[in-house]
Amino acid sequence: MAHPSPPGLTPSEVSFLCEMELVTVIPRQKQDAYTLLGGPTPPLTPPLRANLPLWLALLLKRQKRANIAPPPWLAPAALSTILESETTEYPAAFTPGPALPPAPPSLRDEAASPPFVPTSVVGAADTALPYHWLEMGEILLAGAGDDFEEPDAVRRLLRDLREVRMAKVRAGVEVLDAGGGVKMNGVGGMEIAEGRAFIGGVVDGLRKIGASKEAVRREREREERRVGYRGQEDEEDMDDLQ
Amino acid sequence: MPSYYDIDAILTDSQKVPCTFEITVPGLGYLDGNPGEPIKEGTKVELPLWLGEMLAVTQNNTNTPTLSLDLPQCLSARVVNALKADPRVVDIRALAPHFYALGSRMLELFDEEELLDVLTDTFKRRAKEIADQAHHPRGVLGEGAEFLRGLDESERQLFRSAHESSKAVRNWMVDLKK
Repeated sequence: MAHPSPPGLTPSEVSFLCEMELVTVIPRQKQDAYTLLGGPTPPLTPPLRANLPLWLALLLKRQKRANIAPPPWLAPAALSTILESETTEYPAAFTPGPALPPAPPSLRDEAASPPFVPTSVVGAADTALPYHWLEMGEILLAGAGDDFEEPDAVRRLLRDLREVRMAKVRAGVEVLDAGGGVKMNGVGGMEIAEGRAFIGGVVDGLRKIGASKEAVRREREREERRVGYRGQEDEEDMDDLQ
Repeated sequence: MPSYYDIDAILTDSQKVPCTFEITVPGLGYLDGNPGEPIKEGTKVELPLWLGEMLAVTQNNTNTPTLSLDLPQCLSARVVNALKADPRVVDIRALAPHFYALGSRMLELFDEEELLDVLTDTFKRRAKEIADQAHHPRGVLGEGAEFLRGLDESERQLFRSAHESSKAVRNWMVDLKK
């Protein structure tokens, strides 16, 4: 069967999901609250910063009604620190994502993970890359490049980070196994979208090569279970005879 | 279990394997190029896997198998040694276009622990190289051309999907800038 699209999300779908993340804007005009499906947005009063979803922030930016303040981890200094730890501290794994805040008791399960935790607003941590780091970085550089102090340095660092981390995704196949897993904590959404087809293909291929061994093992297990069952039955028969 | 209509499974099963006839079969000489004659006991012929397998596992009334299968040339000790030395320089497409599929079919029929390990290791190490080639589009004309020509059918699929996804991300980045 030919499927029109491969499993998983396409890059544009991932970036669409990323547009739900909150970013900080510095409004240039007064604006009342918008009532959106996801709840009302904060009213905008020019000198005061406010957190808005990325898509709305980009819209206001395009209409020159607001500036976007880049998240702290998108500063060149923070990015080079992360790149440094990516190559020296975690040569084989990804740098862990931002620490999650303790969940409020009323919303213990669902509220304590992105996108419900703002990881790209001005007060966010600058020591870790959030889940949507690549998308957020690229979208902001494309849509609000003039709000960065050094957009070219940020762009270069993002590209370096991407290279380093994609090399790690590819190196992961060394430890892949037909039934095993590979630990990918801290991986980003776009990186999953990019690596999914390859990693899935490798696991599939390994499974096909090992299919005979797997079949033998299953057969033996079934045999053992059957023999065990039969053994019990025989004993019962003996009891009946006595 | 591969699907009945899986074209790759069909092509895998049509690859030839060496077989030795254990009994004399009358009238089967055309397999050996002697139409009308019987095929003699001990004759070696190359038969498609589906036919060889069928004849090797079915019983006839003499209670011996009609023929015995051998490992094909592409899984011989010489090739296995080459794969152990460096999997990346072996042109496995020249050995068999569906190398891994044939290998796993033969593993169903023969109990070869070592062959399984060699095939698994080969696939993994070549997969890493494939990912590098797919991600950096230098390869197709430059130094990687030799390697890419030697990919078997399943590896080509892998290369294609890895290349497609990295291209999709690159296209998305270009579209953003518009």
